[in-house]
Amino acid sequence: MQNRIIQVNNLQKTYGQVRAVNGVSFHVHAGEIFGLLGPNGAGKTTTIEMMEGLRHPDEGEVYIDGLSVTRERKKIRSLVGVQLQSTSLFGKLRVDEILRLYASFYKRSVSVETILNQMNLDEKRKDLVDDLSGGQKQRLAIGLALIHDPKIIFLDEPTTGLDPQARRSLWEIILALKRQGKTILLSTHYMEEAQTLCDRLAIMDKGEIKAMDTPDQLIADLEMESAIRFHWPGEDGPFSELKAVTKVTREKEHVILYTHHLQDSLTSLVRWADQVDQPLYDLHTRRATLEDVFLHLTGRSLREE
Amino acid sequence: MNAYIQLTLSQLRLFARNKSVIFWTTLFPLFLMVMLGLFLGGGSTTSVSLGWVDLDQSTYSENMKETFLSTEAVQLEEWHDVDKAKDALEEGDLSIVMVIPEGFAKEIEGGGEVTSFDVYYDEVNQAVAQVGFALIDQAVDDINKAFVDFQETVAYTPIGLQSADLTYLDFLVPGIVALMILSSNMNGVTAQIASWRERGILRRLQSTGLPASTFIAAQITARFVLNGAQALLVLLVGIYLLGAKMNGSWLLLFFYLVLGILVFMAIGFIIASLAKTPEHASPVAGFLSFPMFFLGGIFFPISDMPEFLQPVVYAIPISHLADVLRQVMNVGAGLIDLWIPTVVLFIWFAASFAVAAWSFKWE
Repeated sequence: MQNRIIQVNNLQKTYGQVRAVNGVSFHVHAGEIFGLLGPNGAGKTTTIEMMEGLRHPDEGEVYIDGLSVTRERKKIRSLVGVQLQSTSLFGKLRVDEILRLYASFYKRSVSVETILNQMNLDEKRKDLVDDLSGGQKQRLAIGLALIHDPKIIFLDEPTTGLDPQARRSLWEIILALKRQGKTILLSTHYMEEAQTLCDRLAIMDKGEIKAMDTPDQLIADLEMESAIRFHWPGEDGPFSELKAVTKVTREKEHVILYTHHLQDSLTSLVRWADQVDQPLYDLHTRRATLEDVFLHLTGRSLREE
Repeated sequence: MNAYIQLTLSQLRLFARNKSVIFWTTLFPLFLMVMLGLFLGGGSTTSVSLGWVDLDQSTYSENMKETFLSTEAVQLEEWHDVDKAKDALEEGDLSIVMVIPEGFAKEIEGGGEVTSFDVYYDEVNQAVAQVGFALIDQAVDDINKAFVDFQETVAYTPIGLQSADLTYLDFLVPGIVALMILSSNMNGVTAQIASWRERGILRRLQSTGLPASTFIAAQITARFVLNGAQALLVLLVGIYLLGAKMNGSWLLLFFYLVLGILVFMAIGFIIASLAKTPEHASPVAGFLSFPMFFLGGIFFPISDMPEFLQPVVYAIPISHLADVLRQVMNVGAGLIDLWIPTVVLFIWFAASFAVAAWSFKWE
């Protein structure tokens, strides 16, 4: 069995009437990237903050490297690096100044040079934090989380609000950290990010974990590895009876068929269309994504619309 | 220790790079002091230029004139035309115009109805007018006593008011220093801490395992350096450029500066802790500090405040801070002379620090 570096047991947190986190349990293996995927308000941040020891859970317990987070918070500080959501940086400090400031909080720290290098911020060392781009700020925030060379890194929605290019460059950095042997716990509401980065992930909604596995297995488990989408304004045909089709949904004038065997479903769809002499327009096939998994589990889309 | 030094340095850098801090907490009070000092100080006694229009020309009116002439704070100018004197008042050349009507003496001798005369004053310039009224009251009182052959049953010794040779500037400079400490700490601490909390900066600091005591110690140190420099600047400009007096001990003055900074910093921390968001915190700090500007005896002497406000005035710390700074600078008072305000300030310090420490939260 792999080393369970983080163990989360039945975490619960209630704010007034709202159950922000409702009985969450999981574990993280050493050296993997574990993701919490869910929409805003799913309880990801609250879960992470309880794991970091920043919030006290109403129920449940978190163990990091065998230490209880609620009881041995001090010891855990040096094991974990934290990048918080939002703008938790001093805007009027320069990049190297803020790195030195954070380094001073720990007994042991990596050199400022190393972090600047690792985070691709060498040229920005003398810039004020306020003058950095969104991507650079996020890289700095991650750099600050690494300053004391922690084993485990918590990244709370590290790429929210970044443009696609900045997001990709941050993914590179996160994957590089994994190669260094860090254990990374990451929350996100981008399914593409979860799919690219995470070794395993938990899908969260309304304070609960709906499913947990590797991204590929989550999709495979749904028995709808692929989706077929085509223009079909008229009445539905007997789509659900087509070979290997597991689910039929409609998006306005388009029909989407989920299937666990693309070729079979596609052939039988085309054959049926020939029989009824109706042409298929705008036919696409694609691999099912975590977005589809989420939709299937919760009946809602990940994106807030 | 390293964390404390780095935090203090960082805070000082944040001050230096924040233009609004520099403007509102340093340049603005300095500007205010220089402007008020030049306008109202005039380098001499808070003097009232009195336009004297005597339409009666009796011994009584002459008597009154003598009284005013002998009052050091009054510069009496004789005018013959009421309208011209009023014009001069509107122009700001005179602070007050007194008109002694014809037949004033006869009325007094006739007895019965209370004899009156008119006093014109500039409603805009209330502060000077108030001083003028106080002087007139005094003069009229003296005259009344003389006229009615008042037998003094109780002898009173006029206590040499220290204000005799003090200028408005002498009054103002310590007040401005007190104001600066109040606003820099109460508003500054509140706005900064509340915004750091809102933005998660405090939580990020907390997640490093930084002890709250180190954080607060660094805050205090950095603010001492900032406020110390600001106060010194105002004092040096006030004393050496504008000519305010410094009769007391610099050491004692410094002691009170430190005490004042601690009191208002602690109050700032309390407000920041109690307010939920920066949107709440700043108005609350403003709401509490604004009346202190006016009630604290910074611009006007406390004795000029309406009576019902006086208990409030004596309860709030700013009035005592302004008072002790003033006493030290103006009169050269010592710690023993000032034990009451010192005790009050210490009580404020102890109580507000206890509450601040108790209510401080990272998030």
